[in-house]
Amino acid sequence: MSGTKRVGDAIFGCSFAALLLLTAALLLLPIVMTTIMSFDNRDFLGRFPPPDVSWRWYRAFFGDDYFMTGLRNSLVLSLIAAVIATTAGVAAAVVLDRYEVPAKALISAFLLSPLVVPTVILGFAVLVFASLIGVTNGFTRLIGGHVILVMPYTFRTTLASLVGIRRSLTEAALILGANEKQAFWDITFPLAKTGIVAGLVLGFALSFEEVSLSLFLFDPASYTLPVAILSTMRAQFNLTLASASVVIMVFIILLVVMLERLFGLDKVIGSGLYKS
Amino acid sequence: MKPPRGALLLLGVVLVVFAALYVLPISMTVRESFRVFQPARVGGLAGTWTLANYAVLLQPAYLDYFLDTFRISFIATLVGLVLAYPIAFYVARHRGILRTAWIALLVTMLFLGTLVRAYSIALTLGPAGFLIPIARFLGLPPNGLTLTEMVVIFGLLHMVVPMMALTLIGTIGNINPRLEQAAQSLGAPRWRAFLDITVALSTRGLLSGFLLGYALAISSFVIPLVLGRGFVLFATNLIYVRFQDTANYPGGAAIATVMLVLSFGIVYGLTHLVRRRLETT
Repeated sequence: MSGTKRVGDAIFGCSFAALLLLTAALLLLPIVMTTIMSFDNRDFLGRFPPPDVSWRWYRAFFGDDYFMTGLRNSLVLSLIAAVIATTAGVAAAVVLDRYEVPAKALISAFLLSPLVVPTVILGFAVLVFASLIGVTNGFTRLIGGHVILVMPYTFRTTLASLVGIRRSLTEAALILGANEKQAFWDITFPLAKTGIVAGLVLGFALSFEEVSLSLFLFDPASYTLPVAILSTMRAQFNLTLASASVVIMVFIILLVVMLERLFGLDKVIGSGLYKS
Repeated sequence: MKPPRGALLLLGVVLVVFAALYVLPISMTVRESFRVFQPARVGGLAGTWTLANYAVLLQPAYLDYFLDTFRISFIATLVGLVLAYPIAFYVARHRGILRTAWIALLVTMLFLGTLVRAYSIALTLGPAGFLIPIARFLGLPPNGLTLTEMVVIFGLLHMVVPMMALTLIGTIGNINPRLEQAAQSLGAPRWRAFLDITVALSTRGLLSGFLLGYALAISSFVIPLVLGRGFVLFATNLIYVRFQDTANYPGGAAIATVMLVLSFGIVYGLTHLVRRRLETT
């Protein structure tokens, strides 16, 4: 091996590592900065870094009725939307995966297609629809929009978990005298459970942090936490929002950890043929 | 297996509900975009057909918003691809704690939510953060258009890099690492082996990753709304402005229809075209 080649390879390796490090830093910088600023003890938005730390912005966030009502609404909405979307997603995935259904690929593509619709447009469309048919209740509109938003994900994770379950197991149960229903609840469902729960968690997380859809659909009595945060952000930019962001972030990290424990993140992202 | 009647019925119910909540609203929005707008009225005039809502979009003032959306998103997605590829390469080719850390970072960043992302970046690159030092370093006015655009690009990057890196891991994982090793043992320097073998073989994945990222970027809403500070508006922001200021449903519907056609065109149409092109050559 020639000397210049070795030097060139070393330079390549170093710049590769440097680029990785830079990207990691760029991704992490805003998060770290917000976390530090959320503990600022000054009562105004001052320059970084904070001279002193305190919990004052967390107290401000949790003591604020506007945010707490939003938080409650968000938790209820996301739970309802995730449960409906999971039920519908599991039903569709099981029927499509286990039986000979006409136009299978087309139906799958149709159920996944909301992934391509920008959320703003979905929100606007549901609003136009609700106005034209006379639905003025914000919470009803929100549930409708969030179910459509989340269902492709719950459908997809269930499909993915069904792939690994051999059909012969169901057939064996049927031969041994079980009916279709028993075969599903005793065989398929327990085996697919982790995938289904992962879909539920994923759906809940996505619904919980959604804002561009909710912005069109909420009404003053049923706004979500992200809508409250966005309105506050546009009115006055203060550090209560930093503590709110950190709270949401911790919540999302907990859900990601849960997904990892349930499903394994490797499985969520998938890896190629050639594992190193 | 032949489906029992109950199973078909179940699927039917799901499809009907889905159609009611999704297909109906979208088709009504498309229909709405062809109606005559009348101020102080919910929805356009019934029974009317007009192209006026689309003609407005061709005026230079509106066209500029669309061109801004495409240009800024293009820059962000292109830079994002350059940053995402090495991460995907690292994750696909290594084992151990660093790989796990990268996956955890990417997934957490993917799930961060646009709002937390937008706020954190606004704080970090705002007056309380590093805005003044960065502006001084670049020799740009801190409240100028150029710097605001750069902040919006950073916001979009922060969104598309995790997504593109995660999609590219599979692509790179499907390329046999022996090929690169063979090139190196035959005397190619590491950077040439990397570019000529691994990067060249992932062209298809790179293109579909780029298109997915681009579709995501042009349809982003919160990032330009918060980070653009009114200087930079994306087409999606216009829908909201037109709806909020004047309750102009037909006008908003026309922009929504254009964006919808673009998103579907990019994700389904262009991706397939690119794939077919690459398979025949």
